[in-house]
Amino acid sequence: MRISLRRVSASPVLRGGFLPQLQVQPCQRRYAFQAAGAPVFDVFNRKTKWLQRERAASDVETSRRADYLRDEVAARLCERLLDIKRDWPKALDFGANSCNLAWALTKKNPDPDPAKPVSAPLSTKIGELVAADSSQTMLYRDADSPFNDEINITRHVLTDQESMPFEAGSFDLVMSNLSMHWINDLPGVLAEINRVLKPDCPFIGAMIGGDALFELRTSLQLAEQERKGGISPHVSPLADVRDVGGLLQKAGFKMLTVDVDDITVDYPDTFALMHDLQAMGESNAVLGREMGALSRDVLLANDAIYRELHGNEDGSIPATFRIIYMIGWHESANQPKPLPRGSGNVNLKDILER
Amino acid sequence: MKPPRPIEKFAQAVGKCSAEAAVYGKCVVEDYNSVHKDKCAKEFLKLKDCYLAAAKGKR
Repeated sequence: MRISLRRVSASPVLRGGFLPQLQVQPCQRRYAFQAAGAPVFDVFNRKTKWLQRERAASDVETSRRADYLRDEVAARLCERLLDIKRDWPKALDFGANSCNLAWALTKKNPDPDPAKPVSAPLSTKIGELVAADSSQTMLYRDADSPFNDEINITRHVLTDQESMPFEAGSFDLVMSNLSMHWINDLPGVLAEINRVLKPDCPFIGAMIGGDALFELRTSLQLAEQERKGGISPHVSPLADVRDVGGLLQKAGFKMLTVDVDDITVDYPDTFALMHDLQAMGESNAVLGREMGALSRDVLLANDAIYRELHGNEDGSIPATFRIIYMIGWHESANQPKPLPRGSGNVNLKDILER
Repeated sequence: MKPPRPIEKFAQAVGKCSAEAAVYGKCVVEDYNSVHKDKCAKEFLKLKDCYLAAAKGKR
């Protein structure tokens, strides 16, 4: 039996007195149950992120000028591709941004080794590249550039940055260049990437992680603490190197390689840094952030603190982008595997003591 | 030619106050484990006055 006390709001009859009204509800039986599946934690506002990227890409010139980081990382990702002596009939660029990877794949003579003869661009080894991204404006920004003629590229607009509308086992290679740090459900997306790969095919990705932009994070915290007496998140929480290894393993990838690369870029002042982040479409989209722009007072304080805490001697300020590269392979029967436990025939102690 | 964004004007004016900014920055960073509200209010007001003067001079 449930009895609830309800206070009736001031009606003309009851005005003046706050008479609690007793209400008896019929018996109800409810079942307690747990929500099915693993809980999904939302960290970023997808709508905001999508809007920011659409807006950033609609200003074509500014957006192109801020592509230096993506172009550089795309080139470094392609260097990793050189180590795999294979052809890829069908490849996916997941979270393609403005197809920076496609541009990097068409670079002439990609092998930096001077001892080797001039090598053909990597795009000749790729049958078809599917570039998928949720932001249409950003995806099609460079659709008229000359590199499109040198690679067989199909652009695919995703309904959501985290969706994977492809059939299982349909790709020989999946790449991702600097977009996975905005994904809420990273374990789920990695498992999806593993699903669309054929057996014994690699996923090669780069994402921002670790202590990236720690200078901006710390100086904004100090500035807000001093000016307003409290802080709100301005730099995203990021995955760390050891998290990425665990996530890849959990998603079922085999033969993992994870490594880190720090790229430090110098800017004239903090406003130039923030302007470029905005032009990349990388503005803050953390859920629960303070709405509206940063106040001028905080910006003024932030510039002074950033310079004092991290500034270079020549008056410029450094910003560190930590890039995590990951390689994982879809499981296959003919892959080298660790031997089962206890199957060793030689005692390692004998060899080491000899 | 597009007109400059307000933030660009702001950045230019702030750039003229590096001396005051250094004083304020040193004050905050000096003991950055115990920063509280208005710890360096005096230094900040000097910085802001300088910025306001620089911004006014521009126009």
